[in-house]
Amino acid sequence: MIQVDSASRRPWIPFLTLLAALILLVLPMQELPGGFVPDWVSLVLIYWALAFPVRMGVPIAWVTGLIVDIITLGIPGAHAFTKSVIVYITGSLALRIRAFPVWQQSVVVFLLLTLELASLVIIGGLTGEAITGMHRWTAVVVGALVWPLVYHVLRRSRHSSNLRGS
Amino acid sequence: MVPHAKSGFWRGLAPYLLSSILLISAYMHVGAVKVAASSLAVIGIPIHFVASLPSMTLAAMQGRLTTTEQLRRQFEFLREQNLILRARLQRFEFLENENNRLRELLQAAPQAVEKVTLAQLVAVNPELGSLTVLVNKGSADDVYIGQPVIDAGGIVGQVTKSSLFTSKISLITEESQAVPVQVVRSGVRAILYGGGKNRTLRVMYLDRNVDIQPDDVLVSSGLGEIYPPGYPVAVVTAVERNIAESFMNIEARPMSHLGRDREVLLLWPTQLKASDHDSDAMVEEKSE
Repeated sequence: MIQVDSASRRPWIPFLTLLAALILLVLPMQELPGGFVPDWVSLVLIYWALAFPVRMGVPIAWVTGLIVDIITLGIPGAHAFTKSVIVYITGSLALRIRAFPVWQQSVVVFLLLTLELASLVIIGGLTGEAITGMHRWTAVVVGALVWPLVYHVLRRSRHSSNLRGS
Repeated sequence: MVPHAKSGFWRGLAPYLLSSILLISAYMHVGAVKVAASSLAVIGIPIHFVASLPSMTLAAMQGRLTTTEQLRRQFEFLREQNLILRARLQRFEFLENENNRLRELLQAAPQAVEKVTLAQLVAVNPELGSLTVLVNKGSADDVYIGQPVIDAGGIVGQVTKSSLFTSKISLITEESQAVPVQVVRSGVRAILYGGGKNRTLRVMYLDRNVDIQPDDVLVSSGLGEIYPPGYPVAVVTAVERNIAESFMNIEARPMSHLGRDREVLLLWPTQLKASDHDSDAMVEEKSE
């Protein structure tokens, strides 16, 4: 894979998908049964960390996590912390995970989302804003199940925008 | 193309983790950081706006699609209802006057009229899968944490977070929420716990022989000093007396619409004075 010019035509595509994920995160879902809404932001961050481990690394995850904290009126820093961790892990193992078939990637995504929720629960417990309810854990399973969909949609967006490189 | 070849854990991740932890602890202990975070929440307004577009257009379309006939019928219905409510209000005002006069006779402080503000629901779901709703009033409108929120049916919940222009309301159905209530019919006091999403409310720790039955209305009792007394909260749907257990299993259904309406009311209850406390509360305070 020789790439002299890694500059792409539309470098803002990842950020646009992140914005879309943020909007999906706060979209009203009162009609859906609890726990069927996965953390879209984490899924999108994981995808871009797999695709561009260097360019879409920890700094972007940190800032995105902070935005999540601020717009959901949560503890500022909590999501920044957890999303940095999962994006760092994803980025470090990106070459290996990329070689997996999609269903195996789902397993990895499941582990990453579990790690994120576990750290959120710990942070919540330490700061006295405990996370209650089982629905957060079903959302982890749902997140792993919708990963193939996220993967294909985002890959199409990446290819259509002709993004390359790391 | 080796990822993180130059930036390992110490340069690639540790600074970010450290800054997150610093931010969290600063938020916990420094008041100014809290204020800054609540002011920064304005960056969420465009995102919330875009997210609320689908439901807003749906609501607007419903308005357009109704025929003149339907609108006329709705108007008639609302006019009738207004008339009925006004008639009831007259009686209520009379009773309130009488109540205040009696309170004066007893030399207790008269209950002042509560301040009420209408807040619009920002049609969003602020926390993943949680039972919270966001409204468009914030600390700039004197909203405070622990403020009671009601709608046409009864108590909706309380404010648990507030930023400058928005605040988060935890519904009474949330697992972490509890409302001190009183059975209207028998005067029994109890505590109503949230059951979580799509689950009913539960009254817990009521002795087997306490007087409570299905269709009993539970109103807030005013203990706990978050919810003002007398607002309807829930209707008992099932009472299960089990000889083997010392407490009953009681289920209840909330009377408010739990944020499905487009507007809710924020209440500013008048401060309870020492003379308003009954003797029980005084004893409790001393024993603490």
